[in-house]
Amino acid sequence: MADPQDGSRSRSSHRRPALPLAALAALALVAACAGPPKSGDTGGGSSYQLSQDTPAAKGDIDSFSWALYAEPPTLDWIAAFDYPQNTILSNVCESLMRWTPQLTLAPGLAEKASNPDPTTWVYDLRPGVHFHDGSVLTADDVVYSLGRQLNPDNAAAWAQQFQNVSTVIRTGPLQVTVKLIQPDSQFNQYMATAAGVVAAKAGVQAAGKDYGTTGSLDCTGPFELGAWNKGQSLELRRFDSYWGTKAKAAKAEFRFLTDPSARVNAMITGEADGGYLIPTESYERLRSSGAGSLYFGEGLSTVNVNVTNMSGVLGDARVRKALSLALDRSGFVKAGLGGAGTVTGSLTTRAAWAAAPEATRKDAFEGLTPTTPDLARAKALIKEAGAAGKTVTVATSPIGQDVSLLATAVQAAGTGIGLDVQLKTIAPNAFTSLFTSAEAREGIDMFPETYYDSITDPLDLLANFKTGAFQNYAGFSDPAYDDLVKKATTTADPAERFAIEAQLQKIASDELLWIPVAEWPTAVFMNKRITGAPTTISYMYYPWAADVGAAR
Amino acid sequence: MSFLRFAARRLAEMAATLFGASFVIFGAMYLAPGNPASFLLSGRSASPEALKAINAQYHLDDPFVLQYLRWTGQILHGDFGRSITYRTDVSRLLADRLPSTLLLVAMALVLVVTLGLLLGWIGAVRGGAADSTILVSTTFALGTPSFVAAVLLQGLFAVKLGWFPTGGTGDGLGQMIWHLTLPAVALALYLIGMLARVTRAAMLEVLGQEHVTVARSRGVSDHRVISRHVFRNALGTVLTTGGLIVSTLLVCTVLVESAFSVGGIGQLLELSTTTKDFPTVQAISLIMVGLFMTVNLVVDLLHPLVDPRVTLGPRRSAA
Repeated sequence: MADPQDGSRSRSSHRRPALPLAALAALALVAACAGPPKSGDTGGGSSYQLSQDTPAAKGDIDSFSWALYAEPPTLDWIAAFDYPQNTILSNVCESLMRWTPQLTLAPGLAEKASNPDPTTWVYDLRPGVHFHDGSVLTADDVVYSLGRQLNPDNAAAWAQQFQNVSTVIRTGPLQVTVKLIQPDSQFNQYMATAAGVVAAKAGVQAAGKDYGTTGSLDCTGPFELGAWNKGQSLELRRFDSYWGTKAKAAKAEFRFLTDPSARVNAMITGEADGGYLIPTESYERLRSSGAGSLYFGEGLSTVNVNVTNMSGVLGDARVRKALSLALDRSGFVKAGLGGAGTVTGSLTTRAAWAAAPEATRKDAFEGLTPTTPDLARAKALIKEAGAAGKTVTVATSPIGQDVSLLATAVQAAGTGIGLDVQLKTIAPNAFTSLFTSAEAREGIDMFPETYYDSITDPLDLLANFKTGAFQNYAGFSDPAYDDLVKKATTTADPAERFAIEAQLQKIASDELLWIPVAEWPTAVFMNKRITGAPTTISYMYYPWAADVGAAR
Repeated sequence: MSFLRFAARRLAEMAATLFGASFVIFGAMYLAPGNPASFLLSGRSASPEALKAINAQYHLDDPFVLQYLRWTGQILHGDFGRSITYRTDVSRLLADRLPSTLLLVAMALVLVVTLGLLLGWIGAVRGGAADSTILVSTTFALGTPSFVAAVLLQGLFAVKLGWFPTGGTGDGLGQMIWHLTLPAVALALYLIGMLARVTRAAMLEVLGQEHVTVARSRGVSDHRVISRHVFRNALGTVLTTGGLIVSTLLVCTVLVESAFSVGGIGQLLELSTTTKDFPTVQAISLIMVGLFMTVNLVVDLLHPLVDPRVTLGPRRSAA
């Protein structure tokens, strides 16, 4: 900040009154805008029920508006790896496969996907599918679209999902064949995410470096991109030549409301008709407002405490176990998740195993980390490990009450069993860097993280403990685990694969590299005017807005 | 010193300061932990090739000095570079968002100047109950940070009464003004209190001075004394705070924009800082410094017009 006295030499006769003024003004800069308020409301421990969907729409509507917590930086599908962009993009751009509201895999732009041998995927495209510019979908568009993910120069968000791909070639006017270097059981599943999006080659090429930030997205979805008022809102218009069921709303307006309370206020006053990702502390307010209904659905998300430093006292598995045993999970669910969540001892959600045989699922969830506090045993473990009085540093941040209250719960657990748990408060922006920067994680032993799967497969999470994996913060390395990950990746048969994944889940659970705390459902609010949006996390890749219509 | 020479000198000083500020701004981003490339990948496993590609595209591996020189060179050509997170030209990002911020700051400024001066005048001249009321209300205003004001205003006027929207900017000037009223009040409240206090104090001080007593004893009307002598004197004081008022508005707009979801450059600055979007943060910081200095310059140039006793330049003999 520049010197407030700047230029005062030219008006020495006025120096006196300027002095107290400078002091006042200096104060103004500090006091007039210190940090934003954080809700201290811990919320009531209200019950909740998961539902797969919301009442079906009764008819068409002109438009509805939807609250988003942030503006997507770009809608280029190769960069779509976060809630805001995917919530919009899923309605505009479609993928080869489709993730349904029930979180199962269904045909998308490919009406048939076949796997003639373990390293080959053949996609037979739906005929007569129109892009938003009117042109017709061909195999060339698919080859080009997947090619953009493969090109290292594009630094695509989904590059990792293409790591086993050797070639993508056109094998017919409406057929594309993907050749893999080695079998990859996850590849076809990811073709239902933004990894498998297909856009018109000509349109993307014409837009050049501005693709995704302005103009059309040149995709095939039930909506096309309308006016994008940067920093404010974005409009989607119904695409009338859509191949599937047409959207019920002629227009969908997304409003970027970054402040949580402003977002909730907009939903209560009707300025926004609804929204996903409701701040946990606002559940009660929305319910009691009478403005509409709050629904919960399967989120494929778990809240965990991630261990980031194994060279400290947490290097001893007994200490990690003791902390887990002392943790008041149900207290956290009540306070931190607004009562909407389920205590869990599993790193993966139950829904991620939906396609697994009953016996395997039972096996995967048997003998996991106990969720009922057992202080006596925890204290004994700490004593056994000789860890009494040792320090554990947990990162916390005013980024959201799920984070801060979980960190506090860990502190309470640790203190109760004789550990010296220090909380290290980190600014929200620096907290985000914990996920990406080893430097930022220095001096921190653990931090809370919510993880969601992009596909309905537990391997999406469990692969994180493979040697050298990006989120393997603890630097865990076990050749047996790595072998199992590889085996699961190369096993096409789902039943067989789930059995291997159950083994992985057992190891990860015993090691407690992340301490599982709770399953976190998705929440969706819609006011009395509209209905129809799915409740599950499918909204990231399923054209959910097309289902939204009149409630009456 | 002639007016032109003075202006030219101040412009040169401004350029030098901006240059210095640009170095500080550019350097500051490098001191904070984290790498923009890793934010871009947002927690995903990245292949070494992808990381290399990003670093190459944004020249993140180049030595600091080289990056700095490239950046300043580009700016001199009117190019603020390409945003890492938004994957678009920074100048376009700014062009999209600057109007909301400028309108918001302008509206707040109008509120601060008119209400601040008016309340200060009334307090000094009227005294009594009016003065006490103003003292109490300005104390309240001074004790209310903009983010608290934002929450209170939103709760009362947007949610309870429904007179104003809870957030956003809207299309067209009329809509924009309607949407930005509450944010502008939240932004202005503190400064209205401050300016009212300052104006009141300055006017009271002049009111007690000899020349006012002399003028009054000569039979000059009260109104004339106050507007000619007292208020004009206070106006000079107000002008010297002009730069401070504007800089406070620019700094606080970051929080007010977030609270009301106004997609201006304040909010953009906050988001870009979070994601370590170097080019965007640097451009906005530089523009803010530039705006602040421009206001200071304008104030310095206007000051002699308001108050003839103030001269240009350091010494009269230099002219």
